[in-house]
Formats: sequence, C-alpha cells, structure tokens
Amino acid sequence: MARTRLSAHRGRSWTEEKAAIPFLLPAFAVLCLVSLYPLIHGVSRVVYVYRALTRQDVFSGFENFVLLFKDPVFFRAFGNSLVWTVVSVAAMFFIAYVLATLLNSRYLRFRRFFRATTLIPWAIPGVVVSLIWRYVFLSDGPANALLSAVGVANPPAWLTSPQLALWTCIIANIWMGLPFVTIMLLAGLQSVEGDILEAAAIDGASYLQSQIHVVMPSIKKVILIVLTLEAIWTFNSFDIVFVLTKGGPGSASMTLPLYAYQNAFMYYQAGYGAAIGVVILAVLLLAVVLYIREVLQ
Amino acid sequence: MRMSVAKQVLLHVVVLAMIGGLVFPVLILVFNSLKTETDIFASPIGPPHAVTWENFRRVLTDPRFSTNLRNSAVVAAATVLLSLIGTAPAGYALSRFKFRGRTVFSMWLLATQAFPGIIMVLGLFFVLKRYDLINRLPGLIIMHTSFSMPFSIWLLKGYFDKISVEIEEAARIDGCTRLQSLVKVVFPLAVPGLLAVATFSLLLSWNEFFFALVLMRDNAHYTLPVYLVRFLGSGGVVQWGPLSAAALLITLPVFVLFLLGQRYLVSGLTGGAIK
Repeated sequence: MARTRLSAHRGRSWTEEKAAIPFLLPAFAVLCLVSLYPLIHGVSRVVYVYRALTRQDVFSGFENFVLLFKDPVFFRAFGNSLVWTVVSVAAMFFIAYVLATLLNSRYLRFRRFFRATTLIPWAIPGVVVSLIWRYVFLSDGPANALLSAVGVANPPAWLTSPQLALWTCIIANIWMGLPFVTIMLLAGLQSVEGDILEAAAIDGASYLQSQIHVVMPSIKKVILIVLTLEAIWTFNSFDIVFVLTKGGPGSASMTLPLYAYQNAFMYYQAGYGAAIGVVILAVLLLAVVLYIREVLQ
Repeated sequence: MRMSVAKQVLLHVVVLAMIGGLVFPVLILVFNSLKTETDIFASPIGPPHAVTWENFRRVLTDPRFSTNLRNSAVVAAATVLLSLIGTAPAGYALSRFKFRGRTVFSMWLLATQAFPGIIMVLGLFFVLKRYDLINRLPGLIIMHTSFSMPFSIWLLKGYFDKISVEIEEAARIDGCTRLQSLVKVVFPLAVPGLLAVATFSLLLSWNEFFFALVLMRDNAHYTLPVYLVRFLGSGGVVQWGPLSAAALLITLPVFVLFLLGQRYLVSGLTGGAIK
C-alpha cells in the first residue's frame, strides 16, 4: 500500500528498502568517491615518509607520529590552535549572546534593520575578511591611527609582535563568526516564552539569575549546536592566519591547519602533513559527536 | 514591566555601538577602494578626500581578473549544479524511506563539517594527479563538491520532511506514478530547499580559498580568492586601493544572494532546533 511505503514513521520492509535504492545510489556512489575515499586515503598517508634522497614516499609505520611528538613547532601550533579556538568561541558566544538579547528586546526600534546589518560580515568571503583586518592592523593602519588619536604614545605592531600576533588573528576571527552565532542565538531566544521570564521575576530572580537559570537552559540545544559547530569551523580554519601572519613571527601564531599545509605543500612532507591532519581530526571527534547527537535527536 | 526611558536610550546606544563595530571595517574597505594610494596612508580611517574610480578601472581592465572571474564562475556553477542534481533524490530518500544504515548515513553527512581540508586534499591529490586534474578546474570542482554535497543532502532532507506525505499520496491516488508525483508535486514544493542548497554551495565554492591555493598553479587557473591574496605578493609594497576594489567586486555578486538565503541555512544547520 502506498501509505506504508511512503511513510518513514513505520517499520521498514524490504520493498521500502528496494524503493530507496535508486534514489540513494547515485549520491552514495559519488560521496564514496569524493568524501569517504579521500578521508580514508588521506588518513592512510600518515604511514609514509618522503625520502629526499630517493625522491620517494617510503612506508615507515608510525615514524611521522614519533617525529611529531619531538617537534616543538607542532606543540606550539597545537597550543595556539586550542587558544585560538577556545578564546574565539567563548568571546563569540559572550558578545553574540548580549547582542542577540538586545536585538530581541521589544523596546528596540528598527529591529529588522539592525538584524540585517548584523549579518554583513557573514556574507563576506574569508579571504576578504582577512585582508580587511590585515589592513586595519598595519603598523600605520586604522587601529593604530585610532590609538594615536586617543593619545597612546607607542601603538603596538599587531601583526609582527610575537605576543600579539595570535590575538590579532583571534579578533578578526571573532568578528567573522559573530553574525552566525548571533542569528542562531536570536532565533533561539525568540522561541522563549515571555511567561517563564515573568514567573522567574515574580519568584524574585535577578536579571542575571533568570538568564542563567531560565533562558539559557531553555535554549540549551541551540547553544550546544552553535558552540560545537563554531568550534569545529574555527579549529579547521585556515584563511585568517594564512593571510594575516602566515603563522609568524617565527611560529608565534602558527595553527595546526597552517602547519599541516606548510609541511605538505611547501616542504613536500605529505605524510607529516597528514599526521597533523589526523591530530586535528582526533581533537574534533568530541565536538562532532556532540554536534551530531544534538542535531539527530 | 516597563523599561525606563534612560534604559531605552542606553539599549539603542549599545546596539548601535555593536553594529558599528560589525560594519565599520567594511566601510574602511569601501573607502579604500575609492581612495588614491597616498590618500589611504594619509588618512587610514576617514572617507576619501577626492573619490577616484581608478582602482576599479585598474582591476576591471586587468586580464588576469577576467580570467580568474571566469574560473570562479565556472567552478561555482558546476558545484551548484552537481549539488542540486546529485542531492535532491538522496535528500528525498533520507526523508521518506526507512532503510538500513539510515542513521549512519546521516551521521556521515553531518560529520563532513569536521573533515580537515588537509586530509581531504592529500587523500585526493594522487588520484587527481593520475588523471591530470591538478591545476585544472574539474579537480577543484571535485574538491568543492566533496564538501557541498553531503550537507546539501541534509539540508534538502529537512525540506522534504516539511512536505506532508498526504499530498504525495493524494497525487498517487489520482493516478500519478511515484516519479510523476515527485516531479509534479514534491519537487515544486521543495523549491525553497533547492534555493537554500544553491545558495549554500554557491557561497562555499565562490569563497573557497584553501583548495584553490593548493591545487591551482598558474594565473590561467586561479580563482578570485587566490587572485586577491596574490596582491600581497612576497613582501613588497601592497597596493591597497586596487586590492580593496577587487575585494568588493568579489564580494558583491554573492552578497545579496546570501542575505536572501541565510535563513534556510540556519534552519538546516540546526536540524529544526530553529524554525
């Protein structure tokens, strides 16, 4: 009967599975080729090391990982990547939460206009975003012009200072990620009923208390999805650091994706680059599992 | 609960300040595109003293720009087309049928969000090399499709979920075959979903930098993001005026489309957590 075959809510039957095959097969085949195969083959590259002498990739077991754990630049990049991701995502969440709450206020005029303008950085290609911030943070660029104008005597060299380079990149990244996080949180906040807030207020909850104990728990799902997704994107991101500092000065702002790229495509160490990629994948596993769990249920 | 006037004023001031922070850097880009090189460093923040169109003229008459624009357009168009054709049936099946491995398949689609670019490009590099697809547009199209297809299937599944099974059944009772009811009833209703997929894959491909950087080797094959970054050269003087003009020209075509399509992306990414 049509009904049993169409509905996904009932138990499956062989006829149903057979009917699904022609729909799924083309996409499935293509995905195996361009998504599953590269993932597996890419990971498998970690067991090869490039020998300059013979100009060949030679099987060498876990040598790449052994080298990795002796490589100070790798540890620097690993630490930087963690700072880059945790600080970026935490700051995005905090700023976006405040902005979303304000944009959700019924006392705000021109709400539609403000919401639309919030989206602007999201619509700009990552490379363009990076170039904008590279200009902003030039030693004689807008950021330092502003600092000079308010009387700062020696404005810093944002992009070439070992202490500041990574943080400068983080600022650019926060700016780029804010619209997505804000719009997601705003959509969540719009679904929160006014009643429960008033009930909390009657119970004597302060504004901050009602935010933490009432509002945040009721949009927990959205918060988890937005945090995990943004963390994944940030950890994997390449454009900003590549354009702003190329990981420098030295390896002060080196991140894992950039270091993997340099090894694989500048020093011809594909296996070593793949090993760094595997580390990235391993770190992201937790975030992915959280993300998938929230989306699928 | 009423908000005092003072607080209302404060609310507007804070929102304006935050929105200002989001818009101002873009404004600087617009200013720079209209300034001469001397003007840019004489006043790094303010509007141009005298508007010049020279930067835009230089970019638009640069033969490399038109070549790379054409490359970007070809790659993006192919990625969008492949994403639409390849994913619509699969999205439909994921929404309507129960089959073994359905959950695992869904997990895979979502997990691709986290696949490191370096692993994917190393995984395909030697295959692309064997078929002479390095420094060729089809190679780049394959890389872009590998990221746009999985999520597009997931996006579309969400749209098919919203189309009630009853409508389809009614069409079939009226004598349509499954394929007819699909083509005549279901796909037309899924047009917003197809638009969301088109927006998503267009942006992904148009803005993508890493794969283009790694796979493309010469001016004839670069895409626009690579064209833009090459303005930085290797340590010489960067011409910020033409660079800004090029950056704006690259951003504008997809800017409007994005603003129209972002709503659908958000609802797809959250799997219905947000309507």
